[in-house]
Amino acid sequence: MEYILLVPVFFPILAGIVLLLKKEYQKRSSMLLYVGTALVITGVFAVYGIFGITEGVTLFHLTKTLPVYFELDTLGRYFSLLFTIVWILAGFFSFEYMKHEEREKRYFGYYLIVFGVLLGLDFSGNLITMYLFYELMTLTSLPLVLHTQTREAVMAGLRYLFFSFAGAYMALFGVYFICRYGTTLNFTAGGVIPAAVLQENRTLFLVAVMFMIIGFGVKAGMFPLHAWLPAAHPVAPGPASAVLSGIIVKAGVLAVIRVVYQMIGTDFIRGTWVQTAWMSLTLITVFMGSMLAFREPVLKKRLAYSTVSQLSYILFGLSVLDAEAMTGALLHVTAHAFIKVALFLCAAAIIYQTGCKRVEDLKGIGKGMPVTLWCYTIVSLGLIGIPPTSGFASKWSLAVGALASGVPVFSWLGPVVLLVSALLTAGYLLPITMQGFFPGEGYDASRFEGKEPSYLMLAPLLIFAALTVLIGLMPNGLTDRLFEFAAQALQIV
Amino acid sequence: MGEHLLANYAEVVAVILFGIGFTNLLLQKNMIKKIIGLNIMDTAVYLFLAEKGYIAGHIPPLIVGENFNPDTYINPVPSGLVLTGIVVSVSVTALMLSLTIRLYRRYHTLDLDEISMRLKKEGL
Amino acid sequence: MELIRNFPCLSIFMAMLSAIISSALKGNGARRLNTFVVTAVGVMSACVLYLTCTTGESYVYKMGHFPAPIGNEIRFGSLEAGMALFFCVIMLFSLNGGRKKIQIEIDPGKENLYYIMVDLLLSSLLALVYTNDLFTAYVFVEINTIAACGLIMIMESGRAIEAATRYMIMSLLGSGLFLIGLCMLYDMTGHLLMSYIQISVREIAESGTYMIPLLVTIALIVVGLAIKSALFPFHAWLPDAYGYSTVSSAAMLSSLVSKGYIFLLIKIIYRVIGFDIFVNSKIINVLFVFGLAGMIMGSMSAIRENDIRRMISYSSVAQIGYIYMGFGLGTTVGMVASVFHILSHAATKSLLFVSGVGLTDVSGEKTQFIELTGAAYRNVAAGLAFTVGSLSMVGIPLFSGFISKLLFSQAAVQSNIKMLPTLIALAVSTVLNAIYFMKTVIRIYTPIESKYPSVSIKKNRLYAFTLLCFVMLNVALGMCSQPITDWITQGLSVFA
Repeated sequence: MEYILLVPVFFPILAGIVLLLKKEYQKRSSMLLYVGTALVITGVFAVYGIFGITEGVTLFHLTKTLPVYFELDTLGRYFSLLFTIVWILAGFFSFEYMKHEEREKRYFGYYLIVFGVLLGLDFSGNLITMYLFYELMTLTSLPLVLHTQTREAVMAGLRYLFFSFAGAYMALFGVYFICRYGTTLNFTAGGVIPAAVLQENRTLFLVAVMFMIIGFGVKAGMFPLHAWLPAAHPVAPGPASAVLSGIIVKAGVLAVIRVVYQMIGTDFIRGTWVQTAWMSLTLITVFMGSMLAFREPVLKKRLAYSTVSQLSYILFGLSVLDAEAMTGALLHVTAHAFIKVALFLCAAAIIYQTGCKRVEDLKGIGKGMPVTLWCYTIVSLGLIGIPPTSGFASKWSLAVGALASGVPVFSWLGPVVLLVSALLTAGYLLPITMQGFFPGEGYDASRFEGKEPSYLMLAPLLIFAALTVLIGLMPNGLTDRLFEFAAQALQIV
Repeated sequence: MGEHLLANYAEVVAVILFGIGFTNLLLQKNMIKKIIGLNIMDTAVYLFLAEKGYIAGHIPPLIVGENFNPDTYINPVPSGLVLTGIVVSVSVTALMLSLTIRLYRRYHTLDLDEISMRLKKEGL
Repeated sequence: MELIRNFPCLSIFMAMLSAIISSALKGNGARRLNTFVVTAVGVMSACVLYLTCTTGESYVYKMGHFPAPIGNEIRFGSLEAGMALFFCVIMLFSLNGGRKKIQIEIDPGKENLYYIMVDLLLSSLLALVYTNDLFTAYVFVEINTIAACGLIMIMESGRAIEAATRYMIMSLLGSGLFLIGLCMLYDMTGHLLMSYIQISVREIAESGTYMIPLLVTIALIVVGLAIKSALFPFHAWLPDAYGYSTVSSAAMLSSLVSKGYIFLLIKIIYRVIGFDIFVNSKIINVLFVFGLAGMIMGSMSAIRENDIRRMISYSSVAQIGYIYMGFGLGTTVGMVASVFHILSHAATKSLLFVSGVGLTDVSGEKTQFIELTGAAYRNVAAGLAFTVGSLSMVGIPLFSGFISKLLFSQAAVQSNIKMLPTLIALAVSTVLNAIYFMKTVIRIYTPIESKYPSVSIKKNRLYAFTLLCFVMLNVALGMCSQPITDWITQGLSVFA
């Protein structure tokens, strides 16, 4: 029975490969039918796996001590459910959007493959499996970045590749040590390395952990290796930028949680220079990302910078090593995923319908595309953190947790930076709404008349906006679960 | 130290010759001189081997008539090695010479560096 | 079972004999004979491997009727047999992959000469793998050099001849050092058979009287073989020799010839000098440092290179650095990693050479990067295979390169002093690898309107099939590495 766990991982990969190898479809609709069916089937099996299967399954042994092993724990379930929802909805959005792009077959082929790889990443039950899928994710998502094949896209793709590899190999440096000293490679709350060993090689392990945090942090756009993100995300086609910015970056977060909380153990890091350095880096990133977004005139780039900043909210919540803050961070994973995907999809819809890319061109857009802009506004409020949206709930927990954690200086510095950054967030997101609805007296907005996108594009937007509000109104069911997990991971009984 | 060098003068000479041959093969620009260096190097090794196989006062290991006594012979193995070595070095030298002829016919020079320069200029 | 014990000796003679027969045959006949011999030797080696693996012992085969310590011997355990099998497989694939180019690039009248050289190469490789006698090893080292030189110069272009000359000069320097080293060893020990030398060396080491000459001798032998296998900084000849010869030659030179010398060095380390004595000498530190330097410098040169063939060649320098770095770690685990990397690199590098030529063929025979733009669309099979090879070189999980990096790092973390430099060099070299290989992969997948025609897989089935075999070999090494490392460990343990 547990072998069903393999279906959502390998079925989309196979489906994607088949699509890539096939000849061009005569009719576009039959290709969409194929992709849609594949997405839905994968989704169904993924949900079944997430809720129905508790056993692990070993696929094969890479070497005697390194099995490729899948097992779902709370964290895996949480992330994979989130990824599945977003991936399928963004997939349906691209059915319409990709009409105006070329090479659709390749796009959808890799879209399916990355879906499978991401689920594999979530389902993986040990460090090596996770690392394997992490590398595969970098490679298979590269064609999405390269899609337009302009010079800009190729340069961005190269940058993406180099930063990702550099990060992955920094992380591998630490993986070696865990392989060497760990009692097991399966994810275990509180770490797998005996405390005595950790103390004996204290400096070494601290360096290794720092390397792993920075290395996996590359995917999450953490300073100082963040420069690839604002280049790579905006050049992809709209829905692809959405999932790159909303989902793929979360893989970095997942990896950091796995390593810090479930491989090394939080007790070892607490109070060391690693924690301080980590917190400082995240706060720098939060502030810097917001500032850069504030100054950026191109909408998609602005959103990408915003991702840099928001991802470090999450990493900050993790670096505090406090259950409440971690709950906030985990909740922000979902909140940010829904919001950022929705924002990028809005930007994609605007580009698709009007071709406007720069912020100043968007004056008066609310006249022509009111539904789109309303969705944009609602999720923007969520990103700023205004109740009753999910962003408020997550940031609240984050700040409370940080204040209660008792880490010197950072317990108050963190919330302050978060607050300042929230103001900046409002500063770079809301002007679009205001100028969109109120372009000013006598402004001619007739070029936007009747540009509202089709229902296939609007539906995902509306769903994401609704989810943002819904989680904001009733976060307790989710937060209780997450808090339970956080407490367990931090070994607070 | 000095005594040892004097006592084993043949080995010392062999090693010095080896050094001379080696540097010639490595550093000379002219192909023919390189090949000469190669031969000096190989010959030095044979000298070394022959010296090692020789035992003062003993005779070549040839069986003449009925009376043969292994204790009076020199060690025959190094002589065998020298023979094999000569075969190898002859074939290698022949190969090197044929390569040199090829290069000379094409470029009318024996200077390897100049040939390389010309090849680079041709951009082949 | 008794019959199988004759196979190693038989396979050496079969390869030699086929070289002699080939000189009387036309090109086609020589080609068929060569394919048959390589296959037959492969099958025989597989039998020997089966025998040695099931019994777990090593065997000694007396040549002629002279008993040791005078006579000549062949000795084989599972490691030797496996290596012989692997060499045959790679040779067969490399030849098949470059078959078309051989027919185009070599003067039809000389095609049989090419196969003579290949047969000789095979026989000398087998002899290097199997022999138990140092002087025999020297003779076959020279035969190997001559055959390799023939493989390079068969193209008859000025570049190829110049490359062959340079290769020859460096090789002769190496074999000269090796020869004087082994003569001195003979002087000190009075033996030529490896097992007997080892006993004497052990006595010398224990008594401690001849330590300096012993060290010098070890150094001479190691440096000689290092020059021949192109360890940095003795690699200057390599890019030309690999870059301007026909593709099968390049593939065989990089994955067989240099690996044959390295395997001989492993044999000497274990069976002549003794692993512990070797580890206690300072030489391993030198090897370690040069290995690390090679890993970095080889990749740096490869990044600067603008020619795909030369880039792949420079990458060989880096990979050979890995192997020597593994020696330098001075542990059995490091040795196992090195041997695994020999296999992994041989499989990957020949794949890269063979697929690279498919790409240059559809780019007007030009090797510059700018011409290669979009080549992967013009030759789909070669493009995919090149990508797989690159990923393996970069060290993506599932491919063989990842496993060897993993083994190296596992070996490195056991050593206290050498751990940090090794890991740092591994990381840096990996990133550098990623830079130049990924650059190439992206270049070949960047579509443009090209003036060059494309080639379909159907037209060139043998080539596509060979590439598929290479890829499978690579993935097999990457996914089922455990039995292979077990085999290497077992083989090394019966080595001494």
